[in-house]
Amino acid sequence: MSRWRYFFKRLLLAVPILFSVMTFLFIILRKGPLDPVAARLGPQASGADASRLREQLGLNEPLWDQYIRFMTDLITFSGESWVTRAGQPVAEAIASTVQVTVWLGFWAILLPLFIGIPLGFYAGLRPNTIGDYVASVSGILWLAMPNFWLAVMALAILRRTRGGWFGFDWYTIGPDISSLVGQSPSLAFDSLQGVLVDIKLILPAAIILGSASMAAELRIGRTAILESINAKYVETAKAKGLKSRTIVWKHIFRNALIPLIPIITNEAFILIGGSVIVETVFSINGLGRLYFLAITQADLPLAGSIVFLFTLLIVFLNVLQDFLYTVVDPRVGVNNE
Amino acid sequence: MMADDEQPILDVRNLQTAFFTDKETIRAVDGVTFDIFPGETVGIVGESGSGKSVTARSIMGLVESPGRILQGSSVRFQHRETVREYAEQFPDLTVDVADLEAEYDPQELLAELELSPRAFGRSNPEEVTVADIAASGHGDEFGMVDADDCVFVTGGDPADPETVTDGFVEATRASGEAQRLLRGGRIAMVFQDPLTSLNPVYTVGNQIKESLRLHRGITGREATQEAAELLEDVGIPDARRRVKEYPHQFSGGMRQRAVIAMALACDPDVLICDEPTTALDVTIQAQILELLAELQDKRDLAIMFITHDMGVIADVSDHVNVMYAGEVVERASVEPLFADPKHPYTQGLLESIPGQHAGERLRTIEGSVPTPNEKATSCRFAPRCPKAFDECEQIHPVRLPVDADTDDHTAACLLYPDDRTKGEALRSHAEAQGGDEQ
Repeated sequence: MSRWRYFFKRLLLAVPILFSVMTFLFIILRKGPLDPVAARLGPQASGADASRLREQLGLNEPLWDQYIRFMTDLITFSGESWVTRAGQPVAEAIASTVQVTVWLGFWAILLPLFIGIPLGFYAGLRPNTIGDYVASVSGILWLAMPNFWLAVMALAILRRTRGGWFGFDWYTIGPDISSLVGQSPSLAFDSLQGVLVDIKLILPAAIILGSASMAAELRIGRTAILESINAKYVETAKAKGLKSRTIVWKHIFRNALIPLIPIITNEAFILIGGSVIVETVFSINGLGRLYFLAITQADLPLAGSIVFLFTLLIVFLNVLQDFLYTVVDPRVGVNNE
Repeated sequence: MMADDEQPILDVRNLQTAFFTDKETIRAVDGVTFDIFPGETVGIVGESGSGKSVTARSIMGLVESPGRILQGSSVRFQHRETVREYAEQFPDLTVDVADLEAEYDPQELLAELELSPRAFGRSNPEEVTVADIAASGHGDEFGMVDADDCVFVTGGDPADPETVTDGFVEATRASGEAQRLLRGGRIAMVFQDPLTSLNPVYTVGNQIKESLRLHRGITGREATQEAAELLEDVGIPDARRRVKEYPHQFSGGMRQRAVIAMALACDPDVLICDEPTTALDVTIQAQILELLAELQDKRDLAIMFITHDMGVIADVSDHVNVMYAGEVVERASVEPLFADPKHPYTQGLLESIPGQHAGERLRTIEGSVPTPNEKATSCRFAPRCPKAFDECEQIHPVRLPVDADTDDHTAACLLYPDDRTKGEALRSHAEAQGGDEQ
């Protein structure tokens, strides 16, 4: 049962992390330069309006009380947006945008996973061949391009193809989305056509959001394979007379997965940061864009709730990562026995 | 009909393995010849870099690019049951040597190839057979055999495997399935470091069962049972529980026992041990050596034991090969070798065992092992040899009997045979080497 004890311990450790993250956020937003009242009322607001709103939002109460209210609202997801979605409960605001972001994140994780890792493994199994060079160099190029720049470039190029560009029109190739420009995926999942349209709408953003992780997975995958391939246990397996296919699939791949686990889960962290930028550039109405608006307008309850959600997600992924470790690598977690 | 135990089970002749890089060619193993009989332990000893491990890997077929076993090398696995099995399973790879003998005359071929009989591990031309030429790969030039033919039947009819009485499987020619059956199934290997030679993510039982399934077709519950018995055989207590444990839950000595159990899982005839005790402390080392001796008795294993530890060699071997810079420089039974070492290198090695000359500084051999880049034209040990003389720089010594009384004690040094005059000795080395130069 030591695996489970280890797992439980990690979960407990997450509580103080969550607590301190939220406290930091409160201090930064409340003591920082942003003023939610000014953001909501605009520069022409009268002093009376401002002080009424200030009173209404509870900004005149002692900081300590504000802090307690902020924290309890967060934990119960019961606050109300101050500025961005003024008056709307945060739970509602988040629920209305989270789907698109999950959809984006799903593809942004899936694409690199099924392109980056196989390419990396391919390169690692054939080191110093043309295939390896092509894969490795394109991986480095991919990694070198920041996603905000890639996003703008991709958007510019795709827009140009409207009405045909060298015989290629992004908007009509495959499912037709020419009438849906600027819209977010509907995510109704009512027909195959609808799903395809949803995929197409999210695809450029997902590829760009996943680009950095794809390159990272490729490079780490390649190194992991190379390291594993030269390990003594591979020689032992060969000396046993095993077929090379068995050696690769059984002995090399599983060991190569170990260093990839943190890369894959770290991807999720990049996604969260990246989704804020990519959603803003592609004007996708997701959680990332909502967060961007909330934080620039000092919408404390909304921004706080989104960060709280992000933090929960990251903590969960960290625990998942540890769990995956214990599944793949039997050496992890037994030291406490 | 020759009984199996009258001939060596493993016959290595003129084994040459080189590594080709852009910068240089390294002849890591350069013309090694020795044999191992069933139930016998042959020790291979030498400094680091003398080519011991590459010899073992060459026999196992584990040499990888940029390394290659050169043409003219031969590693014969002579085991009647195996030859029968192979003749049955791989009729396409099987050669009836009687057919070749009817067609070719070995002496003519030898003359045409301009090779000395030493290139085939023989001391005079009459001894070279057609099978020698075909197995070493020189026969390919005459179209004698196909490139992947590796089963040579010298007695009996290969079409009817039951009648096969004699023959060998040529390990250097085997590839694919034929090679995989040999490695692991007939010749198993125990590596130096038990810490890294087991895969950390699978249970010990899983890794043993892998061999059982592959070579003996045992699976499931029966395989678990067999794996536990193997662990018990190598002296692991509570084997039934240990089968389900991971390598990191084993101590160093236990891990090496598990590695040995894994090697024995396929019931091999030859066990190659590449410094199996180097990574272990002295008491564990003694236990492992004892275990190997015990297993050898029980299973009639032929063991090739590689080490740089002269003490261990004295303990385990029947015969000893002393390697230096890719060559075997001296071979003898263990007693004469330790009592009366002939080659200056062997003498140096024995001198440098600590604790012999109390109060003195430990004696060493000055310098280090050279990396051979081309075929030897002089004695490779000469630069470090205290007894070197001018001719050592001009003649490459071949391994000859050290004197007329013995066939069993040979040394590659111009000082021998020592019952002849120096001039005669030099001539016999030069002559034996004669056709060798290419």
